[in-house]
Amino acid sequence: MGELTTIGFKPGRSPLHRLDPRTKQVLLVGLSVASLQGGITFLSISSLLLLYLFTAAKLRLGRLVYEIRYFLLFLLFIFVLRTVTFNDQWLPAIASGNLLVEALLVCWRLLLVVFMGLLLMSTTRIADIRAALIWLMKPLPLVNEKTAATMVGLVVRFLPLILYQAGEIGDALRARGIERRKNPLTRLVKFSIPLFRRVFLRADELVETMQARCYNEHRTVPELSFTLRDSFAAVIGVGLCLTVLLR
Amino acid sequence: MSIIQTAHLYHRFSDGTQGLDDVCLAFEEGEFTVIAGANGSGKTTLLRHFNGLLFPESGLVSVCGESVKKNPTAARQQVGMVFQDADSQIIGETVYDDAAFGPENLLLDRPQIHARVTRALADVNLTGYEDKSPHQLSGGEKRRLAIAGVLAMAPRVLVMDEPFSNLDYPATRMVLDQILNFHKQGHTIIITTHDLEKVIAHAQRLVVMENGRVVEDGIPEKVIGGIERYGVRPPCSIQLGRGILPWEN
Repeated sequence: MGELTTIGFKPGRSPLHRLDPRTKQVLLVGLSVASLQGGITFLSISSLLLLYLFTAAKLRLGRLVYEIRYFLLFLLFIFVLRTVTFNDQWLPAIASGNLLVEALLVCWRLLLVVFMGLLLMSTTRIADIRAALIWLMKPLPLVNEKTAATMVGLVVRFLPLILYQAGEIGDALRARGIERRKNPLTRLVKFSIPLFRRVFLRADELVETMQARCYNEHRTVPELSFTLRDSFAAVIGVGLCLTVLLR
Repeated sequence: MSIIQTAHLYHRFSDGTQGLDDVCLAFEEGEFTVIAGANGSGKTTLLRHFNGLLFPESGLVSVCGESVKKNPTAARQQVGMVFQDADSQIIGETVYDDAAFGPENLLLDRPQIHARVTRALADVNLTGYEDKSPHQLSGGEKRRLAIAGVLAMAPRVLVMDEPFSNLDYPATRMVLDQILNFHKQGHTIIITTHDLEKVIAHAQRLVVMENGRVVEDGIPEKVIGGIERYGVRPPCSIQLGRGILPWEN
């Protein structure tokens, strides 16, 4: 397996790698909520900060953009949906300047949330994500925090593998001339059936290998420690959120 | 007392195929056994019973005198299983995390986990790779990491399913050398393979399976003679009439 995908944990020693996973998860939630209300100032500062964090973590931003290309198409679709209107004769017309800016802001916000999520996944071990979730969900009533954290951890673990399998199946289909089939539905069926089959098989294998190594919910969790660095990050995060509240 | 014992073990798959048919075997502590057979002969199915990943339709499998069905966790702790596909066995995002997965499941404390992981990675020559992503490793390194992940659980028996498949010559040599080292250290080794060439010279016992049954069981020199009739290729040295010779020389 040469290169899995860019999405997923990358070992490193960047400031974000060294933050407590609880800080990162709380900041992710807080900043995501703030992003959905944020104006140009907030979005610009957040984007610059993200750019710095991506560079410091030595992540390949270009490659990440490529990995989320279908999400970018989805954003384009949203942009078109919000900016193109129809007149009385059902002819398409471009919306006014204000609507264009608003549509751009919506796409920017969504993109920012996705990039923050990718940054968390790239700089945090799944074991740490799980440990932080157990800690954060412990006070919640009627929630088995260990099961819930394991489920989230497995989804995060599986995402890069599913993307890898999808890439492999796509290559195999292209090698046998799938492009010559013009019907998009046929192409979708030819792609999804082997993908689902492979993903379920892989899930079964994963369960077996975890069982073989005595997996259970009660396992040693990584030690979490909130340091001065986390306090500094929390202050920056709260400051950024305040720019949204106080505008 | 045998370390692993099966008594009249039967296993049938959900599609009706008979996977194992009246398998009675006993493995002694420190023994080096090779289980050979053609594809579909039941080798992997048998190994999965030792580790409690499959349970018998009838019959008994016991590890260290305890029924695997009654206490699969104890069996999994005693019998470390290395799967044929190393990629499917790798769970952690770094080499260190993967080797630590088993000890974490055993609820060991952090210093103990660290000691075991460090030792296991050193045993398979992966010291210095701790922070690497497992998916960046070569095929041989992945196989060694899979072995380290099992060694970190300190099992008494090391069970390996086709440990040399998809490995090039240097990687095969390295994995073989390490298996021989583990045997020297006192581990019980059970290996399944349809390619006897690489390992048979070091084994003390050869078990041959066909259609889920044990058809031959004994010291390699006695069993290997007619092994071709069970769909297993005899080593070159046997075909040349020179007896069993080590493959690596």
